[in-house]
Amino acid sequence: MPRFEPVLLKRIDKPNSAALAGYRADGGYTALKKALAMAPDDVTNLVKDSGLRGRGGAGFSAGAKWSFLPKNHPGPIYLCVNADESEPGTFNNRILMEQDPHQLLEGIAIACHAIRSNAAYIYLRYEYGRSYRVLDAAIKECYAAGLLGENILGTGFKLDVRLHRGAGAYICGEETGLIESLEGKRAWPRIKPPYPAIEGLFRKPTIVNNVETLCCVTHILTRGVEWFKSMGVPPDPNNKRDQGSYGPKLYCISGHVNKPCCVELPLGVMARELIDVHGGGVWKGRKAKAVVPGGISMGFLSANELDTKLDFEGPGKVGCLGLGTAAVVVIDDQTSMVDVLYNCCRFMSHESCGQCTPCREGTAWMTKILERIRTGRGKLEDIDLLYEVANSMGIIPGTTICGLADGAAWPVKNAVTKFRGEFEEYIRSGRSSITPAQQLMAAH
Amino acid sequence: MPTVYVNNQPVEFGAEERLNCVQAAQRAGVEIPHYCWHRALSVVASCRMCLVEVGQKKPDGAIAMQPKLIPGCQTPVTDGMVIVSDSDKVKAAQKATLEYLLLDHPLDCPTCDQAGECYLQDYSFRYGRGYSRLQEPKEQPPDKTYIGDQITLFTDRCILCSRCVRFTREISGTAELQIINRGNHAEIDIFPDEPCNNKLAGNVVDLCPVGALCSKDFLYKQRVWWLKTANSVCPNCSTGCSIFVDECEDRVYRLRPRYNPRAQGDFMCDEGRFGWKYVHGDERLHLPVQRDGGAAVSHDWDVVLPAARTALAEAAKRGEIAAVLSPWMTLEEAYLLVSYLKSLTSKLSLAVAPVRTVGEDDKYPKDVHGRTMEPTKFTIRAEKCPNRRGVEMILQHFAGSVMPMGDVLGRASSGAFTAMYLVGGDPQGWINEVQAAALDKVNTVIVQDILPSPASQRAKVVLAGGSFAEREGTFVNHAGLAQSIHRAIRSPGEGRPDGRILWDLAERRGLFSAAAVRREMADQVPALKPLLDAELGELGIKL
Amino acid sequence: MAEAAKTEVIKKKAGPAHPSGDKRFKLLEVTMKRHQFRSDALIEVMHAAQELFGFLEVDLMFFIARYLKLPPSRVFGVATFYNLFSLRPKGEHTCVLCTGTACYVKGADALLDAVEKLAGIKAGETTEDGKLSLVTARCLGACGIAPAVVVDGTVKGLETPDSLVQQLKGWLPNG
Repeated sequence: MPRFEPVLLKRIDKPNSAALAGYRADGGYTALKKALAMAPDDVTNLVKDSGLRGRGGAGFSAGAKWSFLPKNHPGPIYLCVNADESEPGTFNNRILMEQDPHQLLEGIAIACHAIRSNAAYIYLRYEYGRSYRVLDAAIKECYAAGLLGENILGTGFKLDVRLHRGAGAYICGEETGLIESLEGKRAWPRIKPPYPAIEGLFRKPTIVNNVETLCCVTHILTRGVEWFKSMGVPPDPNNKRDQGSYGPKLYCISGHVNKPCCVELPLGVMARELIDVHGGGVWKGRKAKAVVPGGISMGFLSANELDTKLDFEGPGKVGCLGLGTAAVVVIDDQTSMVDVLYNCCRFMSHESCGQCTPCREGTAWMTKILERIRTGRGKLEDIDLLYEVANSMGIIPGTTICGLADGAAWPVKNAVTKFRGEFEEYIRSGRSSITPAQQLMAAH
Repeated sequence: MPTVYVNNQPVEFGAEERLNCVQAAQRAGVEIPHYCWHRALSVVASCRMCLVEVGQKKPDGAIAMQPKLIPGCQTPVTDGMVIVSDSDKVKAAQKATLEYLLLDHPLDCPTCDQAGECYLQDYSFRYGRGYSRLQEPKEQPPDKTYIGDQITLFTDRCILCSRCVRFTREISGTAELQIINRGNHAEIDIFPDEPCNNKLAGNVVDLCPVGALCSKDFLYKQRVWWLKTANSVCPNCSTGCSIFVDECEDRVYRLRPRYNPRAQGDFMCDEGRFGWKYVHGDERLHLPVQRDGGAAVSHDWDVVLPAARTALAEAAKRGEIAAVLSPWMTLEEAYLLVSYLKSLTSKLSLAVAPVRTVGEDDKYPKDVHGRTMEPTKFTIRAEKCPNRRGVEMILQHFAGSVMPMGDVLGRASSGAFTAMYLVGGDPQGWINEVQAAALDKVNTVIVQDILPSPASQRAKVVLAGGSFAEREGTFVNHAGLAQSIHRAIRSPGEGRPDGRILWDLAERRGLFSAAAVRREMADQVPALKPLLDAELGELGIKL
Repeated sequence: MAEAAKTEVIKKKAGPAHPSGDKRFKLLEVTMKRHQFRSDALIEVMHAAQELFGFLEVDLMFFIARYLKLPPSRVFGVATFYNLFSLRPKGEHTCVLCTGTACYVKGADALLDAVEKLAGIKAGETTEDGKLSLVTARCLGACGIAPAVVVDGTVKGLETPDSLVQQLKGWLPNG
């Protein structure tokens, strides 16, 4: 296989990669110029034709999302950029923002032109201090260079981009939670309908897109639909719902690998290739026991599922929730799945917004059950109880407002089915994997 | 007509009507359990108790069901919609939600005020699993007695339905309550030292579907299953909120708003809710009195009433009589009194006691900046009496005009009247010492009231009447809505409901019946014609 | 400054300065003005307030609520929803341990164990002398250098219990 030439990450190793001058020297903002010469709907159609699916986790068609906006709306229409990258194991947006902010800003400007918006908000997680400083500087450069503000590139197009920082809440990655947070409220996801495209930020039509998605838009404009579709996996003709997985994707590889990294590859790479080729193999000569395919809320691949293609459809075929953020976390064969699952559940319980009963109570309960198992007080029935609780929550069964509960349920469902033997053995042995000091912490 | 099918039962609804699944099911007599949804508040669909399956009936009769459960409260019904609330899938979801809600619930029903009228109890019984599989100790956040002067929060009983929070944001506009923290550490709380003391605060206790928010006034006073309930009308302002009077053994324990879209809607104000304590006040008049030269000569109704009758008849022969009616009287009482006095003499002056007003009408909902929003859904009226309009209608009919009490007292002080019949009722007082001095120039003063006053002190005959909780009859509110009040308790001591006193005074046959008087009155008074053949029912009739 | 100052704020509503005369309130007011006192700027304003004062005390939240014309309860609700707002004073130094899954499987719990033992406090607490606060965080997006730690704002990766203890012990009496 010829080595893939990165597109999104092409400039990250350049000196001063974040500066406008360098970006322009590399052909930056020609995509915007091209887009501004097109009618907004033509840009939307182009993105739709490219098959670009959202990189934030759900994999919804970006162009289709844009086309849900009401026609002839008097405005304002808003674009919200979801830069609240919080899914454990995921750090690709951070690299994009820190190393090549103008790629993102150009994508934002193109998207705003397409959706007829004059105001974009970048919702950035507060923990990303460097991203904030870099983006802030880049936005200022753009205003000074006439790439933001009034009459952009002399076309009359007007756009303001505002940076807004979060304050530490995973739920702000959910699009309506993000909108509530932007309005200065508790980030409680809204009930849908109405969807944000109809009624979003400040009750106006709003599109929420992920950072990586918008970065892709820039390149679709310059290189075209055919180029984008030349990468990835076409739809399965036997699956009518499969829209295909086209384009480049940033895969984050972390956990028990020799070389944790973020790598750009065409969609559809095998998990095994990511670990062995790009991640330098499992550390300490060990074997992988389980692999998180796309952030912990997607569930787990077992060791014999590593030949799964990591495109939008692949993980689902082996019982995972989906591709998610394509953040691959490798877990070696010396690590207890009970502990890993406990870590996932504790996270989800801590991050549940507390609005819907099943998620608020269920995530906390699952954490308690796992804590009991970890401290050697588990019972075999607890495995089924865990599964039952997990199975009762989420937007898939319809019992919650947003998908956090699905993300909390999936690792549980995957772990107790794919690693049931290990759970049973753990419980039967009555062993405890934690020290007394940790027990205190667990109780905390 | 558009039709929706609830568990196979067709329910028709108006083309303009906006119903959700819960409401449509109610029409079919099917209960879809719910906590967070309340008709007067915004929809949050967060408790997930009202999950149902929905589908669509196609023209060929086939039904296409949606794969997911959906919250009934959030889903408007449309023509041909199919709602299923009793499938195994729905039942499993109901069981799961209840198990979640009860995970950390203390199950302290034996000491909980809400027991007996608690939706956690009711739904657990009907839809729950009966036991919990939680093995860990329950979380026990401390109670928050500081949450308001009249309300207290049992934090561990709270199910976070957020009704109370939405009430203070969407209706009272005071926004004292808020959910703090996140996830399963979330709790209802106030901003430190900014308690929930708005004029409508007590409503959050009614809105709370469980025993979390409790009324400090009612706390630990009575188990609800010992309470008997009478439908009534709050007498404290001219809005005339429909209420429940909850009593046990002739003691009122609490008032609660009774939903009435024709009157006030869902709520009542705290002034009304807690403004009934005088009913059991020590100072209540609890004996009839006949005086002779300042000294009481009898406390026996069988002596006092005939004495009053004789004195009035004699006074009528000698000269002019005046009566002061009270805006706290029912229509029936006003009618009985005036028609009786009319039968004695045509030289009769009729007046009405002062209508107490405090401030200005206070309209709700308000936004969080305290600004009144349209349309108005609830008003605390400045006019602090229940039946000014009704009493004036009676006076208009018999006298052609409504004279203020001051005019009659002015004439009384110049010795114009041989007798005066004054009815009180306003627990805050209705006549002062200076005004009452005019009565010294009247030979026969008869006062009918519930509390002592400068007038009753001067009266030859004092008739101990009943408070609103002790009487039957009709009040007409500010907008002309006639609603009936029902007797909840017996009057203290020898006190009697005013209707009975007046019935007996007029020597009518049999026992006082508000319904009988209402029929006679409606026949006689054209303005009250609508009451002739109609039942007032629970909601009342617009005149 | 709690009660008296607060009453004063109520009276003045959007007055020129905080009655305590503390200049930091003036600085905060400038921030709020930059956001045109818009209520949706609440989170940014609270960040500014926390940067100025170290934590969000009751009086400060009340001040913000008045200026942004928000019910105080809403400010309180937001302050307690987000992890990064603190209602209690923090230590002079802060050690944030990432407990995201990648860091967890690479030994974050051993780091936590070591710091808890060293400082004699649990996660979320501050040493009695106010020197060190120990905080656990969700995934910091630094999975490539797991286990990640943030010491006084600087992200450090590939930590071991020993290397971390070396960095912190100078701040602790028993170090």
